Amino acid sequence: MVRKRISRVGTALVAVGALALFVVASGSPATRAGAPTGANRAAADKLVIWVDSVQKPSIEKSAAAWGKAPVTVLVHPFGNIRDDLKSVKPENAPDIIIGPHDWVGDLATNGLIEPLYPKSGTKKQFPKYALDAWSYGTAVKKLYGAPYALENVGLVVNTQLVKVPTTFAQLESEALAFKHKKSGNIAIAVPQGSGGDPYHMYSFFSGLGGYVFGRNKAGNLDPSNIGIANPTFLKNSVLIDKWNKEGLINSKVDYNTAKNAFLKKQAAFWITGPWESDTLKTSGIKFKIIQMPRIKFRAVPFLGVQGMMVTKYATDHGVDAVAKDFVSSYMMTAGAQLDLANDNGRTPANLQAAAKYKDPIQSQFGKAGVGGVPMPNIPQMGSVWTDFGQAWVKSTQGAGATKARIAFTTAARNIANKIG
Amino acid sequence: MTASAVSSQPPRTGIRATAWSLPSRAVALFSGPAGFAVKIALLSIANAVGLWALVILAGRHQWTAVGIVVAVTAVIDALYLVPGRAVPAKFLIPGTFFLIAFQVIPVAYTIDVAFTNYSTGHILKKPAAIQQIKQVTLAETANGTSFTMAPAHDSSGNLVLLLVDDQNGKTYVGTSKSLTPVPKSTFKRSADGSITGATGYTVLTGAALITVSKDLSGLVIPSGGDNGIRAEGLDTAVELHPTLRYNAQRDVFVRISDGAVFHDNNRGSFVHGKEELLPGWKVYVGFHNFSRLIHSKLIRGPFIRVFIWTLAFATLTVFLSFALGLFLAITLNKQGLRLRWLYRSALILPYAVPGFLSLLVWRGLMNDDFGVINKLLGHIGVHVPWLFDANWAKVSVIVVSTWLTVPYFFLVSLGALQSIPSELIEAARVDGASPWASFRKVTLPLLLVAVAPLMIASFAFNFNNFGNIYLLTGGGPSVGDNTVAGATDILISYTYKIAFAAGLGQDYGLASAVGIIIFFIVAAISWVSFSRTKALENLA
Repeated sequence: MVRKRISRVGTALVAVGALALFVVASGSPATRAGAPTGANRAAADKLVIWVDSVQKPSIEKSAAAWGKAPVTVLVHPFGNIRDDLKSVKPENAPDIIIGPHDWVGDLATNGLIEPLYPKSGTKKQFPKYALDAWSYGTAVKKLYGAPYALENVGLVVNTQLVKVPTTFAQLESEALAFKHKKSGNIAIAVPQGSGGDPYHMYSFFSGLGGYVFGRNKAGNLDPSNIGIANPTFLKNSVLIDKWNKEGLINSKVDYNTAKNAFLKKQAAFWITGPWESDTLKTSGIKFKIIQMPRIKFRAVPFLGVQGMMVTKYATDHGVDAVAKDFVSSYMMTAGAQLDLANDNGRTPANLQAAAKYKDPIQSQFGKAGVGGVPMPNIPQMGSVWTDFGQAWVKSTQGAGATKARIAFTTAARNIANKIG
Repeated sequence: MTASAVSSQPPRTGIRATAWSLPSRAVALFSGPAGFAVKIALLSIANAVGLWALVILAGRHQWTAVGIVVAVTAVIDALYLVPGRAVPAKFLIPGTFFLIAFQVIPVAYTIDVAFTNYSTGHILKKPAAIQQIKQVTLAETANGTSFTMAPAHDSSGNLVLLLVDDQNGKTYVGTSKSLTPVPKSTFKRSADGSITGATGYTVLTGAALITVSKDLSGLVIPSGGDNGIRAEGLDTAVELHPTLRYNAQRDVFVRISDGAVFHDNNRGSFVHGKEELLPGWKVYVGFHNFSRLIHSKLIRGPFIRVFIWTLAFATLTVFLSFALGLFLAITLNKQGLRLRWLYRSALILPYAVPGFLSLLVWRGLMNDDFGVINKLLGHIGVHVPWLFDANWAKVSVIVVSTWLTVPYFFLVSLGALQSIPSELIEAARVDGASPWASFRKVTLPLLLVAVAPLMIASFAFNFNNFGNIYLLTGGGPSVGDNTVAGATDILISYTYKIAFAAGLGQDYGLASAVGIIIFFIVAAISWVSFSRTKALENLA
């Protein structure tokens, strides 16, 4: 008897408790905002944007200034945006994401982002390479994002220690003279480490006539045309062996070593990008940022172009017209780009905005990037980084280094194998 | 726990009678009215979660899943509410539940993925892929015609687009059926060129504009030939024409320019010869991923070298850490050693610091020219290329992995040592055995009974220790041969390179297939080792 009663009381209590919890949980505002369910998502009255925490405030301001529809800006770790877009449930998926241009090939190949068609007048306000960086297509080339910020490395020169070089020969002699002044000094602090860092090394690469992928007739990057061991570069690569021998560059210098050496005045030349602006400002060092002087060719860096994309889910949510209005009509205007640049401290991609953007450090980095090469945005680039970096590591590791000609030829062959 | 709740005795008396040990305290916590309340609360939470899942699943018409959730919830409720029955099940159910959730389902999912082409370019379902192909193969007209546009309602409330050609200023009204030129004078335009009104039409603004957004995305205004004008945002429209046409009956795409037919190749793509349309879709491909493992030179080439190094790495790491851990445990097990707690805590430190942090610190320490280790060694004129030389990098990897694993074996050895009856060792000493002989003949075999299974587990862990390799050397330095495997790459890091840093970037299907192969290798080695340790148990 007692048993039966307790069992019944228990059942009743559990039922009531479950219902109460359910009502409390589903009714709380936190769940509403955080994870929109299928039901309230169907209303399609707002845009959801995935943004990293650093850029959230500035993007929120842009959305408020646009003001045509309510926008929910969700913080998403920058490095996860691309991969999470592939596995997210459609009802939780963002309508708009931000990201660097080299995600475009991967996301477009997967069919996750929508092509954009801004007006020709708008497109004219952007440098060709910024639009190229955001264009991809094996059959028809399409623009997949609104570029809004540029990023590239430059050669930072400590003007108290050395003269600002105008030729590569000057750079070489200044750097080597400084290195020989004191043991522990580094000639050019450019990060590599055992893992390699072809991104920071690109100015040396382009200056010797190297390129990663050539373009086909349609103007698209061609993964079968790998220029890492092209004849011109290989002919000039004896210079790498020379630099290695005299100690101009050394692959044992990694990111932190390079940075510390510059800050402790053990290096007068440092190759770095605008993400170290605050470090430079607070260092108390007098410096100037330039593009590396011409070697055999113009020594231009890799360019990264940040932009905003409309996802395929915007169509599923019935908001793609609204999303495209925000991305390709509003965010590409000079006004919006200047506001954004002033908020998040990055050189705007829109030329009219860039002309009005006055930040001494950013504009120096901007000039250092003139003529630069956008990182290839095709998904095959994933096969390039490691071997490309290792070629530099092996050919500039001081004593026992591999001849650059051999290192880069091996790398090119490995990359071709991996791309398949 | 229900037993005492049901027996409705005052629980305190029952507890007093038993020894006041930790287990009984734990039982007491879950007995009586307090325990009953906890049980009701936990079950309520479980049921609330179930109810929440039901609402969502029903909303998506996932009726099978609804059935499963109802059944599982009912079984759990019945088990804990109906008194007196199936006591063992009460203890087994939570464990089984989590086993299924965190072991069985991921394994099943991995096996499932291994038989698909899930990879870059193959993640959508087929209808979505077809939709995307149609979208991305639209081309702009030769002169790139664009329009200033305003969505509006006509007098009977139908959606129309008011259009102004950006190049020649001609004005039109477009519907899904036709594009009609209208006199310029009927449009009202603001200073910045946007359309603010038109005779006979109501221009949509504000919330109304957002409401029609959904209809805008499907709207195509025929503008002669294949061309169509589509809304791009809320104030712009562009004229586009398709370059491919989808034939739903034959399930093929036909290229308009040359009539080339792209057909479904049963591997999740539309192809014409070697040309492939992107995106493709996810589809089952049978044993294709496994046959790629055998046929691809990229994978097969360095497999034996990588496999041998993986074995060496895992074996050496386990044996070195066990030897060192045991040595330290014996040393610090000595009674009366001063500051014993300090040494013991210091030894556990590498275990307590997150591995990825200490690995990055080690990478800094081992830096060739600038690392602390080489700076110290420099004073005695020695320079070791820790991470730059293929053989030294292997040494570095083993040293660091051992450093990370020693505390674990130190702890388990310490525990096992204390459980060996001291009489046995005394008996050995009385029989005249030297300390070394008594260690080798008595302590070690008894110790191994307890520690050997843990060594096998540690071996399996290190066999797949991706983090150590990836963070310390990244698999490098590269070796001279024409492969993508570096000198310190183990199977799992090599798999990562093949599946995630080759081809188009991400090949989950291939990675899962390799994962299954690695599972069989580790399982085989563990099985052999476990059957060997059986012999040890018999000895004991």
